[in-house]
Parts: sequence; C-alpha cells; structure tokens
Amino acid sequence: MANPAKPSEARLSHTAALILQALDAGFVYGFSIMEMTGLPSGTVYPAMRRLEQDGLIHSHWERQSIADEEQRPQRKYYKLTAAGKITLEASRRRYPLLERLIPNEEAKTV
Amino acid sequence: MKPSLNWDWAQRLLHFGLLRSASLMVPGTHREEWLREWRGELWHVQQACKPMGAVSGRGEREVTAFCLGAFQDAISFKPASSQRKILSIEMEGTASRCLLVLGAILVASYTVSLLLPGVRAEQSLWPRRVNPNLVLIQEDGYNNGSSPTISPTQFRSWSGRRQKYFDGFAFYTVTRETLGPGLESAGLQKVSASNAAWRVARASSNFFVLLGLPAEFAEPAVMAGGDLPKVILSETVWKREFSADPHVAGSTVRFGPRVVRIAGVAPDGSLGLPGRVDAWMLDSDADKESGGAGYVVAHLTAIGAAAMWASCVHITANEPDESQDDLMGVSLEEWRPAPRTLYLFAVFLALLSVPAVTSVSLGEYSPNPLRISWTRRLCLWSFLCAKILLLLPIVYFLSLDLAYGLTTIGRERASLLQLVSSFAIFLAGMWWVLKDQRQRCPVCIRCVAHPAQVGQASRTFLDWNGTEMMCMSGHTLLHVPCVPTSWFGTQRWLYLDPSWRFLFASSGAGWGMPDSPTFDRPLDPLGGNRWPH
Repeated sequence: MANPAKPSEARLSHTAALILQALDAGFVYGFSIMEMTGLPSGTVYPAMRRLEQDGLIHSHWERQSIADEEQRPQRKYYKLTAAGKITLEASRRRYPLLERLIPNEEAKTV
Repeated sequence: MKPSLNWDWAQRLLHFGLLRSASLMVPGTHREEWLREWRGELWHVQQACKPMGAVSGRGEREVTAFCLGAFQDAISFKPASSQRKILSIEMEGTASRCLLVLGAILVASYTVSLLLPGVRAEQSLWPRRVNPNLVLIQEDGYNNGSSPTISPTQFRSWSGRRQKYFDGFAFYTVTRETLGPGLESAGLQKVSASNAAWRVARASSNFFVLLGLPAEFAEPAVMAGGDLPKVILSETVWKREFSADPHVAGSTVRFGPRVVRIAGVAPDGSLGLPGRVDAWMLDSDADKESGGAGYVVAHLTAIGAAAMWASCVHITANEPDESQDDLMGVSLEEWRPAPRTLYLFAVFLALLSVPAVTSVSLGEYSPNPLRISWTRRLCLWSFLCAKILLLLPIVYFLSLDLAYGLTTIGRERASLLQLVSSFAIFLAGMWWVLKDQRQRCPVCIRCVAHPAQVGQASRTFLDWNGTEMMCMSGHTLLHVPCVPTSWFGTQRWLYLDPSWRFLFASSGAGWGMPDSPTFDRPLDPLGGNRWPH
C-alpha cells in the first residue's frame, strides 16, 4: 500500500509551487497572488484550498477593527506552515526558475 | 453622472449575484465563510480594476472574470479532511475495493430478493409438484382439454366402483363467479375490483389431496374449520390481487351470494390442468351441484401406470347403461425447470459464449517468470477466482429479482426472463471480470490507470500504435495494441525500474514492497527505453 508523502517528498504542480513561492515572498492574500503570478481566480483559490487541506499553508482572518478602520471588508490572509516551507525548498530545487519568477524582495513593493 | 452611477450599481449587483450563485455549490456549513472571503477579495479587485468608481470596460471584464472564477472554486471546494482524501486515493483501483464493491452488489441483490414478494413466493412455491401417475380423463378425441367432457353421472359411477387402473378420482367444473362486496380482513382491501369476475373451479374436497399439492400459506385451523367453504387461490391471483400477501389465509371473499374462506395458494403451471383458474373452491358435493360436464382427475394404480404410453393411456369405461365409452387419460406431469436449473443452464450457455464477446486470454503477464514471485501469481489467480465466485450469486439473485419481482407477468414468461437475464448478466459480468483482470498490475493487483493513446493508426504496421496505461503505484506500464499484429498480438507489461520513481513520489510508490520484483533494467517489449506519455 502506498504511503502518504512526506512534506519534503511531496511533488507539487508548477502552479502550487508558484503560489507557495508567492506566499513566501509576502503576497499573503488571494488577489495579490493572482496579480503576482498572473493566474486566474479560478485557479488560485482552489489551489490554495488544496494546499491548506494538505497542511502546507494556513489561513487566518484579519481583525475586524483593522477592516473597519480602513472602511473595507475583512480579509483572509494565508501563511506558509513549516511543512509548506520544507516543500517549497524541495520545489525550488525542482523548479530552479521559481525564485527568479517571484523573488522575495518584490514583497516589499506590495 | 446618474447613468454612470446606475451602471456601477448594476455591475456590483451582477458581481454579487455571481458570487452568491457560486456559493450555492459550497456545502452549507462552509458557505458563509467562503462567501465572506470572496466578497472581501472582490472589494479589493474592484478597487484595483476600477479606481475611484471609474467606468472601464476592461476593468469590468476583469472583475467579472474574477467573479466567474468563484464557480471553479465552489465546484472544487471539498471540506473533506486530507486523511480521507489520501485513503480514497490509496483505495482507488485496489483489489480489496473491487471485492468490496462486488460484495456490496451481492448483499444488495440478495436483500432485494428477500424483499420482493414475487421472488419469495417463487422460492417457497417452486418445489411443489403434483403426484406422479395422475391423469386427466377426457373423451377420446378431446385431448387438448379445451372443453369438459365428463358428466357428473359418469364420475359418480366410476368413483363408486372398485377400479383396476385407478385408485382415486376428483371432479371439477369451471364457472365464472362475480366477486361481491362484504369482504373481510385487511388483506382483502387490496382487491383491485370487488365486482370482478373470477374463473372459479368447483372441485371435489379431495382434489388437492389427490394432487399431493398442499396449499401454501394454509393454516391448519383454516383448513380444518368447516364453517365456510374453502377456496384456494391461484398464484397469479394471489400476486395480482393480494400483492402476494403471505397472511391471506383466513380471509373471506364473497362469490355471488356465497361467502367462502381463503385457505391457501396453489402454484400456477405445475398443476398441468386445462383452462385458466383463478381460485379453487373445495366442495364435497361439487359433482352433485354441477349442472354440466366437468373434468376428472384420476390417480393410476401400478397396473394403470404400466399401461401408460407416451404420457397417455386409453381407457374403456363401462357406463351405467352397459354401454362402453372410449376415454383418454393424459398425464398431468409437466416438466418445468426450477429457477436454479434455469440459472445453471444460462450460466453454462454464457460460459460457452464468452469467447465470442471477449478474449479469454489474460494477456502476457510475465515475459520473464523470475520477475514475479509465485505468491503474487497465486494472489492474482485467487483474485480472479474470487471475482467469479462473487459474480455467480450476484447473477442468480439479480435474475430472480428481474424475473420474479414483477408479480404481474406469468410464470412461463418469468422463467424465460430469468433464463435471458441470467445469460446476459453473467456474460456481461465475465466480460468485465476478464477485462478488469487484464488491467491488473501483476505486482500489486491494482488497476492500471491514466490511459494514453500513443502512436498513429496509419503506422500500425510500422510502429507502435495503441494505448498505454500505468500502475498507480508505479510498478508497471501496460501496452495494449490498438490492432493486434503478428508481432504484437496481445497486451504486454513493462516493469518499471526506480528511474521512474520521480513520477510516483507523491503517492509513495511501492518499491519498498517486500516481495517487489527486482528491477535491474526496464524490460521493454518494444526493444528500448520508453518514456511516459
């Protein structure tokens, strides 16, 4: 019988790896990942839900007071888990261009 | 400015409507949070694409495209835990899952057969057969039994004298009786038309004793009770009018002015008597009350049985007026195969027909016998046997359900339907069993998947053209030729070496299996290393 993959062994699709890389680079909500990766919403959100189910990322709602202060709806943020970071490292080895596509420095501009 | 504002609101309404519609596909427990996230994101998208409420065709399209993406998210939204997902993937295509499904079908078909009254009745009524050496006596020349020919006087004359050829007689006539009102008991409320005309046979009280056919569902108290005349329903009427109610005995019905009590049910067909009869009314004075001719059933003695020839016996009867009458006794024994016999016959026929619908070859399992251990081969064959063993009772119970589940069709048609359905289901089942077996990985007995069409049809005889499928655990690759050729007539297995492992890392391929074959180098039936497509 097949064994569940260890995080470091998990092989992600290029899309999933892109999303992880974007999250790691500081793009922490769906729309910013869409803008960064160029992927449509119908791809990004389902992929993020799968990643969350697999324990590679986790989400949390921002505080209501922050949203009220800025007069906008509350927003959901995503963050890499420890397993997600390990998987991302493995994915970077598999997709060497990943870091060049979304360098970590870009997050500073968002 | 005002039209622009209206347009903006219309757009917002459209986008919100899209999100709300998509949210209907999300499970209720997660719907609110799902919608909250999308609405929050939509606000940011609108801000980015239509800053300061500006009207922009491109911006509108982008926002709409964003909202349409919600449908994809909603469709793929599965709150199931990852553990369940992994379990589901691990179970997919496995031998145990296949056997579990077959077992579930077997249990379901057996349960249905227990629930259907028609099937229950067939199984309980079938073993009944009339006594041997019973004949129906008729005037010579009326062998088809189309009309009654024996007068009550003749019957009384014969039954009152000691006979050399016969040791028992019973008389009956068939009349039409109108089922009247005044029915008792819950069972009779099911009668479809209370004033329907039934064909009622008024028979001697020893009729069923002579036939050796105990009435089914008859209760001893009802049979022994003498308060009302007793009626034995035919199986067809019992099924049609009483929905095969097993508690029908003891109920009363009214035939014209006479109230009678239902004593039991007689099976159709096996009586072999002429004419369709809906009910048998047992009456010791049946012959006296009968105004016209009737039918006589007689039991042959050993001497009479010896005189039988071709299921008939010629009789010369001495009439009370000293004249002689030529009569014919026709055997009542009717051969009708039991459901089990029909089933076995159909299965035998289907087995003979299997090569006509599919190849009985299981494909080239092991070009090199050293690669697969004998325990694996034993497992493979055991799995095939288990599938066939499960298929056999499934076919039996499904054919019973189909043939006898409908209580409105006659017994002969039901038998034919059982024969045909047994044959068809078993043939289809064997086709599936063999097809499934050919697609089982010889290493893990798991079904191969991800079929890929490779090659070109126009190059069948020059190059490879067919379908390739891969073991989901990463052990093997199956090549199935599109058109069998002399050099590639049947499917072949390619055993994958660890260099293919990168494809299966996420599913934890079974290279670590204790009895996995050794993979020194890939065995390619096409004579070279091939890459996945």
